Amino acid sequence: MSAGDQDWDEGIPERLYVITRGRSGLAEQATFDLVTLIVSRAEPAPTMQPEHAAILRICGAPLSVAEISAYLGLPTSAVTVLLADLLADGRIEARSPVPQAILPDRALLEAVIHGLQRL
Amino acid sequence: MLRAGSPPARRASAPVLGWLLPTVVTAAAVAAAVSVVSAGARTGVLWCGLACTAAVAEAARRGRALTALREQCARQEDELRARLARQEAETTELATVALPEAVARLQRGEFPEDVLKAFERREADGATEFRAAREAVLRTVLDAVDNEEGMRESAQRAFVNIARRVQAIVHRQAQDLRTMEDRHGNDPAVLDDLLLLDHGNALIGRLADSIAVLGGARPGRQWSRAVPLYSVLRGGISRILDYRRVELHPVSEVAVVGPAVEPLIHALAELLDNATRYSPPHTRVHLSAAEVQAGIAIEIEDGGLSLSEEGRARAERMLRDAQAGIDLNDLGETPRLGLAVVGRLAQAYGFQVSLRPSAYGGVRAVLIVPQQLITTAPATGRAHGIGAAAGLRPVPGVIPQPASEPRPYGRTTAGAFSAGPSFGSNAGILAESNRPDDEIPVVAERAPNGLPQRRRHARPSRPGPVEVSRVPEPAQAPVQPGMWLAAFHEGVNGHAPSTGAAGPTSEESAGKGEQ
Repeated sequence: MSAGDQDWDEGIPERLYVITRGRSGLAEQATFDLVTLIVSRAEPAPTMQPEHAAILRICGAPLSVAEISAYLGLPTSAVTVLLADLLADGRIEARSPVPQAILPDRALLEAVIHGLQRL
Repeated sequence: MLRAGSPPARRASAPVLGWLLPTVVTAAAVAAAVSVVSAGARTGVLWCGLACTAAVAEAARRGRALTALREQCARQEDELRARLARQEAETTELATVALPEAVARLQRGEFPEDVLKAFERREADGATEFRAAREAVLRTVLDAVDNEEGMRESAQRAFVNIARRVQAIVHRQAQDLRTMEDRHGNDPAVLDDLLLLDHGNALIGRLADSIAVLGGARPGRQWSRAVPLYSVLRGGISRILDYRRVELHPVSEVAVVGPAVEPLIHALAELLDNATRYSPPHTRVHLSAAEVQAGIAIEIEDGGLSLSEEGRARAERMLRDAQAGIDLNDLGETPRLGLAVVGRLAQAYGFQVSLRPSAYGGVRAVLIVPQQLITTAPATGRAHGIGAAAGLRPVPGVIPQPASEPRPYGRTTAGAFSAGPSFGSNAGILAESNRPDDEIPVVAERAPNGLPQRRRHARPSRPGPVEVSRVPEPAQAPVQPGMWLAAFHEGVNGHAPSTGAAGPTSEESAGKGEQ
């Protein structure tokens, strides 16, 4: 054993699957999008898993799933799993962003405006 | 004829008397006979008498010589007997005292030459040949033992060496897997597979660690900083097969000092593995930690079969044996590494381990971490979720630097995968989404290792202006968090968001970014 192979470890001892308890977000995929906005509805409790508590803490103002993922440094799918837990407990609220398709077509609006102006 | 034997008390005068007296008597008798017989027979009688006297004298002399010889023989025999007894005693001493002592000294690490010298000095007397033979025996045995020890040691070293290599590979693989998990975090199906691989990798790592520990080395990784107890416990959970069954109860906010982190994780993993392995698959295993006078008591309770008194005694004996020192040869055909490893680690780091029947019906393993391995100071820069001050803080689920730039799969196989561009969008998103670190002072403070670390503070390095000019942004004013996300959702990579600390965000802002 040389000293060379005793590398210092600067990561964290726990692995991702323990944080998500083995789930990868396949089931939760439908509920959350990258841009789904999350806002917390409860205070973080000391008995919670720290990641859950952290989500509640940072989601005082609405944040998107992607942002939460970035803040926590966790992959989006893992965050989705955590969010699903919180959502099931009613501790957060998820709001889908306005879908592109629902917004009226720009050309149609312009046509309407032109029509109105011509009146 | 007179017998020449004489009592030993008069041995001094006996020789002379012994052979003189019969001769004189015979001579006298001959003289008497010569004087008595007739003149005709006188010559014959005289000759006969002379011959007779000579014979008697010779017989007496020989008798005397025989006696002397006998005495000498007896003396020699006594002497030889004494020598034999002495040698017997010495041989017995060699077998019962000297050899065991020499072997023990050898096993304590003394050199064979030194041991031999010590024994040579001790026995300065005695016949040279016998001493030489004794020395030869001693030397042969010591050489044999020394060879044996050397072989065992080199076998152990080989074990440890291989384990170290496996550890290194597993460790690198774990890091790569974590990078991949970040990179493919958007795709649950891929992430699912990656988590599976990650788990298998951790199991291999534990096995390698076990071999290293049993080989007398320390478990692989080293931590330069204190790690929160909660993370340590979850680290232990990470390394067992049935990690889903472990229920982690909230623990007090303390940290484990760096050098003790890895051993503790490993010991916990072995105990948890035992607990999950010997309890029904549907039951849960409870893991909790409480502060006690001696330090921190970590309890692992399972709902399996209760430990009989006999089984408990056996398990504790195993722990004790391991603490006394165990080598790989003692493990037997089907090695039960778990408790041996725990015992080894407990001995090396001062953990106290006990196994008791549990209130749940199973076994309750208690591992006490001594006070000196516990620090109440929060782990450097990595505020834990529990009781941490409110604010945007990273949670321990963070591997430093993961998303900062798309990294190829492995350092060695950089060219093998076209990592960069193909995953560009995903990695770009993560890279982008990590940027606000700079805006949040608490996060900027993060120094997960306590070592000087490069930070991505530098604003000038950002490709901001270029990007902005490329994509007209409606508002340069502080944008809400949802804003820039929406921006890159539109496909803007590498844009520098200038968000303030997460202020009250409204749906309009998100909507605005969306259009």
